[in-house]
Amino acid sequence: MEQTGTLDHTAAVEARPASVSLSWLATVLKAAAPWAVIIALWEWAAAAGWTGAVLFPPPSVFLRYAVESDFRVGFGNEAMTIPWAIVASALRVLAGLAIGFAAAIVTGILISASRTVSDFVLPVIRGLAPIAPIAWIPLGIVLFGIGNPTAVFVVFMGIYFILTISTVAAVKAVDERLIKTARSHGASRVQIWTRVIFPSILPQVFTMLRINFFAAWMAVLAAEMVGLKNGLGMMIILGREMFNTKLILLGMCMVGATGYFVDTLLVQIQRRILWWQPSP
Amino acid sequence: MKTLACQHVNKVWTSPGGLSVRALKDVDLTVQRGEFVAILGPSGCGKSTLLELIAGLEPVSSGRIAFDGKPITGPEPGVVMVFQEHSLFPWLSVRDNVGFGLSVKGVPRGERATRVGRLLERVRLTKFAGHRPHQLSGGMKQRVAIARALVENPDFIMMDEPFAALDFQTRVLMQRFLLEVWLEFKPTIIFVTHHIDEAVLLADRVVVMSAGPGRVLAEIAVDLPRPRRMTDPGFNGYRAHLTDILEREVMRAYAQDGVEAVSHAA
Repeated sequence: MEQTGTLDHTAAVEARPASVSLSWLATVLKAAAPWAVIIALWEWAAAAGWTGAVLFPPPSVFLRYAVESDFRVGFGNEAMTIPWAIVASALRVLAGLAIGFAAAIVTGILISASRTVSDFVLPVIRGLAPIAPIAWIPLGIVLFGIGNPTAVFVVFMGIYFILTISTVAAVKAVDERLIKTARSHGASRVQIWTRVIFPSILPQVFTMLRINFFAAWMAVLAAEMVGLKNGLGMMIILGREMFNTKLILLGMCMVGATGYFVDTLLVQIQRRILWWQPSP
Repeated sequence: MKTLACQHVNKVWTSPGGLSVRALKDVDLTVQRGEFVAILGPSGCGKSTLLELIAGLEPVSSGRIAFDGKPITGPEPGVVMVFQEHSLFPWLSVRDNVGFGLSVKGVPRGERATRVGRLLERVRLTKFAGHRPHQLSGGMKQRVAIARALVENPDFIMMDEPFAALDFQTRVLMQRFLLEVWLEFKPTIIFVTHHIDEAVLLADRVVVMSAGPGRVLAEIAVDLPRPRRMTDPGFNGYRAHLTDILEREVMRAYAQDGVEAVSHAA
């Protein structure tokens, strides 16, 4: 047995960075650097009078506007605070993503497990998948009225079909050897699904979720613009109605920042829960 | 405890397009309890197919496979399979990979932990119990795979080219390691390989198979004392003999260009 001992140090020496917080800071700085350049140019151009501060106000102007208005926008029953608008939009998209992800995995597994389900459901899904999330907004408003369910519905429809197709593809691609190994160890049919196929497909389907998150995010904003009376989309529309470019740009800035933040959150989930995959 | 008998085993694979390939033709093979049998043959000779049939993962097209006279109907308890390197569950820790078979069979957590712990100790991976497969070297992964098989105290371990993906040094270490655990646990091992040296080094008996469709060409008992070394004087005789058989078979299959292997089903 001495010989095999020499194998031990050939691997498994995980190179964790000595200081995790420092590398985290470096990552943030790296992502912020290009934005710092763009904002600096923008501010400089505005200060030099190249862009009308009214038509295209720089961040210093619209952020000051946010502070001056006490982070409140709108009047009467349309009034809301900016933090609340962010939370409302982010929660809608996250709820839709979570429900859509779970439902797509269940549907995809049922399609893969049963010929009958596959023959009946797959053509329907393939017909519905190409419909853009935004196209579901009118139907959602008719069905659920103006409110949170419509926003969640739009996100759900936006990712459900594509993730179902992705699940079916992922199940097909599960390594045959893992299934054979499990069977030779006595795993039942159900155990093969729950303990081999399910964990095998998670990384691929989650990656698809991330890719489709942006489309879902846009759909929520569009839904807020056309109907729902709050959220970041509503903020942009309020700005348009009041010819307030500061509010429009503030809204756009928040949309970008929140989307970026949620995407980062998804990456973190991917790293924490699906850690056996190489980092995305 | 368990004797394996394959009688007139045939296997024909049919693709969805209607193309059928005859993988095995009239295979007869008997393996005694505790034996170490190597199955040697060129690529595509149906060695892996034969293992899958014996493991009960695929049904035979005709013929009979039986343990102690009882024909198999599916995966047999006490018969486990070890594949090449990438057969560990990447989402499970080393500990949970080794405990997989016990866990699906409902062995209680406490007993499972004891048995897994003992096996990890034996394969010298205790320190790595919490690691994931992607953090291990190729040799360590294969030790985990072997531990996963041994933890169930199997009668039969079927190994499908388990060391094919390893580099030379690791392969040598793993071969010695496998012999040690074989002598210690005394399972019956059927070991598929296309390396002549590996077959002679490890096995009591080498079964040589022909190229598609797979048939048993020859069975050669290796009568060399253990531990064997590739530099032993007797080793060369077996190596030469097996090389000769295989070379002739490869040339014959080449001349025939596989026409017999593939035929269109009407």
